[in-house]
Amino acid sequence: MNESTLFLITFILYISAAFFYFVFLFAKREKSARTGFGIAVLGLFVHTLALIWRTIESGHAPFTNMYESLSFLAWSSIFAYVIIEWKYKVQKAGPYFMLIVIGIMALASSPLMPKEATPLVPALQSYWLWLHVSVTLLGEAFFAIAFITSIMYLIADSREKKGTAKATALTSEKLDSISYRCVAVGFPLFTLGGLVFGMVWAYKAWGTYWSWDPKETWSLITWFVFALYLHTRIVMGWKGRRSASVAILGFLAALFTYFGVNYLLAGLHSYA
Amino acid sequence: MKSVIQFFNSVKLAIILIIIITLASILGTFIPQQRSFAEYTARYDQFSNILIRLEITDLYHSWWFITLLFLFSLNILVCTLTRFTPKLRRSFRPKKEFERKDLQTTKINSRFIKNWSLERTEEGIKKTLSSRHYRTKVNKKGNRTHILARKKMLGLFGSDVVHLGLLIILIGGIISGVAGFGANIKISEGHTVPVLNADFKLRLEKFETEYWPNGSVKDWKSTVTVLENENPILTKTVEVNHPLSYKGFVFYQSSYGWDWENPSLEIWAQKNTDPDFSKRVMLRLGEKAVLEEENIEISVLSFVPDFILNERNEAATRSLEPNNPAAFIEGWQGGEKIFSGWIFAKFPDFARMHSNVETDLNFELKGFEAPQYSGIQMSKDPGVNFIWAGCIILMIGLCLAFFWPPREIKILVEEAQGKTEIMASGLATKNKEIFKSEFEGLFTSLRRSK
Repeated sequence: MNESTLFLITFILYISAAFFYFVFLFAKREKSARTGFGIAVLGLFVHTLALIWRTIESGHAPFTNMYESLSFLAWSSIFAYVIIEWKYKVQKAGPYFMLIVIGIMALASSPLMPKEATPLVPALQSYWLWLHVSVTLLGEAFFAIAFITSIMYLIADSREKKGTAKATALTSEKLDSISYRCVAVGFPLFTLGGLVFGMVWAYKAWGTYWSWDPKETWSLITWFVFALYLHTRIVMGWKGRRSASVAILGFLAALFTYFGVNYLLAGLHSYA
Repeated sequence: MKSVIQFFNSVKLAIILIIIITLASILGTFIPQQRSFAEYTARYDQFSNILIRLEITDLYHSWWFITLLFLFSLNILVCTLTRFTPKLRRSFRPKKEFERKDLQTTKINSRFIKNWSLERTEEGIKKTLSSRHYRTKVNKKGNRTHILARKKMLGLFGSDVVHLGLLIILIGGIISGVAGFGANIKISEGHTVPVLNADFKLRLEKFETEYWPNGSVKDWKSTVTVLENENPILTKTVEVNHPLSYKGFVFYQSSYGWDWENPSLEIWAQKNTDPDFSKRVMLRLGEKAVLEEENIEISVLSFVPDFILNERNEAATRSLEPNNPAAFIEGWQGGEKIFSGWIFAKFPDFARMHSNVETDLNFELKGFEAPQYSGIQMSKDPGVNFIWAGCIILMIGLCLAFFWPPREIKILVEEAQGKTEIMASGLATKNKEIFKSEFEGLFTSLRRSK
């Protein structure tokens, strides 16, 4: 038994959870959704063990390279999803969201991502690593759910307009409100973890709290897009399609901050 | 003035500004910032002039970007202030009388008749609402009682607190930009250097590099002493992520290197004709050493850690890493220069010697050492405290705005013929669904209670 075995078990559990969610989606069996949820929770538990194992083995926070950070992103996505499904009963989002998680896990286990734990470079040896990365990724996980529910909104809305929506389907109104809830949780988390903790750490490590490094700038851009989402929604009363589009755009900006900046733009955040 | 305020008192303007600032920021991440002119001409050819003239090459510090930020700050300020007074009034001097039709036109409302007296109804309503932590204000007018029940009203100011935090952060940014400064200090062990604009000096006691078992760097540690009027005040070890703060100056471990201006060199002399001949001399730059048997004086004129010939065919160094250390030496005999040239530590057979007099002496650069220096980044940034204060206020505001939703219920009770008619309406700007179910729960239980 070691960390990679636990990771593999987690991966298999997430795939099975997705399977049951899809059975629920296509065969309309409520029970399957509950099974899927149960397996996802079990997967989350095993994943937690894997992360703890890795932390003990490597002696540092489990998000210092791309493999670790992807694994943690998958963990926080499931964590966020479990909370949202439990609170708002959005089983219908389960299958799609599980696909995203499986994508992240697949990317993490691809041979492109070096898996061995390497000793930390001096800049990363700080407890701010824990605070900065975990809170930011948790915030991004909520943005990911908002992304899924926003896309589902767009589909549900066009079906409702055409009159082809099924009676059992989640109403577009509910999807719209869940998207907002997710942003309402993700936004403060992202602000705290990504921007505030990021600035504090940058000040402690580099001597300047803001240096317009591409990753910093892209976090700010992501923050601006969600600020736009909130203002157009709360002050200007945007709802529905336009609001959903802004939320989708915001998640894409977060995605670019997470991946794109590392591979396309050079900067201080060269680790992950 | 009024029209200026009106211009800035617009959420539309805020949205337009956010979009422009976002697009500009994106542009700045794709066009490399603060590079040399040559790099821009190589990369963008004839467009480089336009980029430089529009300051896109240093976009985040350009006049137009800063103007945008300034307009944005003004926009936030005006929007927040104009919305603040009505909110204050709503919170502290709310309307205590309600009209029937106002209560019935809101989305969340309830209306029913009870077999209770006015007083009993009032008591019942107060009790039910306080079970959900509502605070009530009662206003009696004849056969009518107006009850205003509210909770979490502080949440009303969440967005204002967020905006205040943002403005403080922006002010902090301006202070940093105007009054902040920094410098790179290179300091070798045992040396003392003055600190820019400070009344104290810094002495490096010890510099060490720690390694992980696999050989990669674990940490750089500089033990430094702060000296005031030559008196040591405090000694601290500065590490990456553990800076030293003193009198508003902060010192960071940022780099390290070797002081190649002051190397100690170990040079060996050998003879082609006599394999047993082997002499060692230790030299610093500018020093002379004598090979006694040969009556030759040797000196080192220059040293480079990473030898390269530049485009004008001159010796230069490619980097500050000791990848290809080379020394330029001269040999003198009785006031006459007999040879000079470069010797290389890594390529002993490659010496480039020019001899004026026939000699069978060979020289080898066997050892080189330079004092290691610690690179310490000094910064003094009076804006930084504003940034932290702004961040804390911003986070408090976000928590208020998202997790402390204000709730307001207006109730009008009217008595007629021993019965009371209850009309209620609820108002919430956020989390309306949750509020709606709370509202319905409250009034269903009230309707059923006996």
